[in-house]
Amino acid sequence: MAEMVKDIVGRCEALFEDLHFDAVKQWKAAVPGRKAIGYMPVYVPREIVHAAGMLPVGIFGGGDQMEVIQGDAYYQSYICRIPRSTLELGLTGRLDCLDGMLFPSICDVIRNLSGMWQILFKDKYVRYVDVPQNYLDSVGGEFYIHEMQVLRDDLGKLAGKPVTDDALRASIAVYNENRRAVQDLYAYRAQKPWQAPTSEVYLVIRAGMVLPPEEHTKLVRDYIAAAELENRPKRDNARVVLTGSFCEQPPLGLIKSIEMSGCYVVDDDFGLVMRWLLDEVPATGDPLLELSKAFLHRSNQQASKYDEKKEDKGKLLVHSVKFYGAEGVIFAAPSFCDPALLERPMLQDVLAKQKIPYTAFKYAENTGQMAPIREQAGTFADSIKLWSAA
Amino acid sequence: MITTIGIDIGSGAVKTVLFRQDGDKVEWLAKRVERIRQRSPMELARWTYDEVLEEVKLRPEDIQYTATTGEGENVTFATGHFYSMTTHARGGVYLCPEAKAVVDVGALNGRAIFIDERGKVLASKMTSQCASGSGQFLENIARYLGVAIEEIGPLSQTSKDPEKPSSICAVLAETDVINMVSRGIATPDILKGIHLSMASRLAKLLKVTGIKTGTVLLTGGLALDTGLLAALQEELVNEKITGIQAVSHPDSICAGAIGAALWGAFRHEKLRQLEQRAAA
Repeated sequence: MAEMVKDIVGRCEALFEDLHFDAVKQWKAAVPGRKAIGYMPVYVPREIVHAAGMLPVGIFGGGDQMEVIQGDAYYQSYICRIPRSTLELGLTGRLDCLDGMLFPSICDVIRNLSGMWQILFKDKYVRYVDVPQNYLDSVGGEFYIHEMQVLRDDLGKLAGKPVTDDALRASIAVYNENRRAVQDLYAYRAQKPWQAPTSEVYLVIRAGMVLPPEEHTKLVRDYIAAAELENRPKRDNARVVLTGSFCEQPPLGLIKSIEMSGCYVVDDDFGLVMRWLLDEVPATGDPLLELSKAFLHRSNQQASKYDEKKEDKGKLLVHSVKFYGAEGVIFAAPSFCDPALLERPMLQDVLAKQKIPYTAFKYAENTGQMAPIREQAGTFADSIKLWSAA
Repeated sequence: MITTIGIDIGSGAVKTVLFRQDGDKVEWLAKRVERIRQRSPMELARWTYDEVLEEVKLRPEDIQYTATTGEGENVTFATGHFYSMTTHARGGVYLCPEAKAVVDVGALNGRAIFIDERGKVLASKMTSQCASGSGQFLENIARYLGVAIEEIGPLSQTSKDPEKPSSICAVLAETDVINMVSRGIATPDILKGIHLSMASRLAKLLKVTGIKTGTVLLTGGLALDTGLLAALQEELVNEKITGIQAVSHPDSICAGAIGAALWGAFRHEKLRQLEQRAAA
């Protein structure tokens, strides 16, 4: 019998709330010797971890259910919350099930966190995953292939056997499937946002941070099928793109508040690792070269990624608004998130030139007071519905 | 011809209205105001919806747009939801076309909204989380004093020597009131003092929105409190905003629901035009 939405979402919610990562422990326990590697937002080439026979585990902070005590000792008060709560997860032993951690290039704070991790957790594999800021294959591409090769060699050593090209190609194919499923989910939500609310879609995406990709792909497909069977009323809501939440994630209550206030979120940048590469990575040929080409030429555009040309700034955001039929943009960024908040005025300028309405606010992953956000999102939705020229 | 229903779920009452609009002709056909009194607001929304339909002998399929406002986001049979500020602005213009601003005083918050002639919000300011600017606070005090809600306004207006609470904090103000009672302060003076304290906050909110002259309509659950209205006029003078006339309307409590119904009609027409444009 087909699973119901509430069963699927219930399972995803349980995975989302489990800050002890029991799903990872169970995966490891199923076959002795299995290893799991954590990674932080925004993007790491998970194909390499998967090809090494390991489970890539997305570590997206502690959310709003965890009190940060020890983590606060490591960062100043003007630093965002995700590094503190991630440290809290580590220092309280919740990440002991991980055999390593990858810290992608997001900002200085996360780069520093990778250094702290090396000092604090000497028995774990730790790597700062740098990305190119030059998009020529012969320059940035070479650099990125080298970065990935180091990771591949390291994980091969950790696994006790080299990561072969064939294994990498097979993993690329697995993640292509996963990406297709996630893209289909986003397309479905944009088409029928009342059937697949973002508060559910987000949980389905977050489940992919702890499940093996093959299992997650099935979960996503099951959710789309189950959501289609639901009889949910369509509301006269404003269609919005939500942007700025690519690293520290908003609390689930905030997403629900935005939807309750009269908005249908038709695109967002939550859990962007799953949609970072925009299309298929060829599963033939040199796997690292193909991953590199995908990053350089066919990857997402967002504040932590260098824009080579000024005129390209905001191009993908505007495309997203048009492609998904959005009527406005909500900038929702974590407090003290330098990349998102420094990028915001430039993106707002682009939107203003395109006459796309927008509003902006800040949050932290443990924000509890939703009334001001509801008020802001609600009045924004009203202004779109009543006063926009469209 | 467009028939719409507006449902305003407040903290103290559910207000539901039914409107019919034909071009510029707007008819208000039915209304229900139900105090919540520990009942389910969602069930009351449904019940009042059925009641207004019954009153005009219409069926749900005859309604083109059912709009909620206030805490009505989760009403499952609604077409859409509008934020309270938007609906009180529109409802205010309907009830008082010359209004330049609306002051919505509900059970939990007070809010000043500066509007244009279409009911578009130009600026607004709301009380903070502190409850002392709210109807719930006044209701609590009235209960302590053994005064019925409908007696509050007339009693307040008989005050000769109003005694303002020393704090704007509802918790401390309630303690203050207990002290006033033990000191033998007359009930009208206590009520007038509270009205002045609340009105002072509302006048400051109005000042921030930038309005300097014209008519201000009081809406929400406290709109018919004549004592508060008189106190607001006094406090506007104290704030040196002398060009403003504060007024109320017998249906001020329904302003949110009225606004929701009217915006629902507006939105229905806009969606129809968008569909026509898309088809072309």
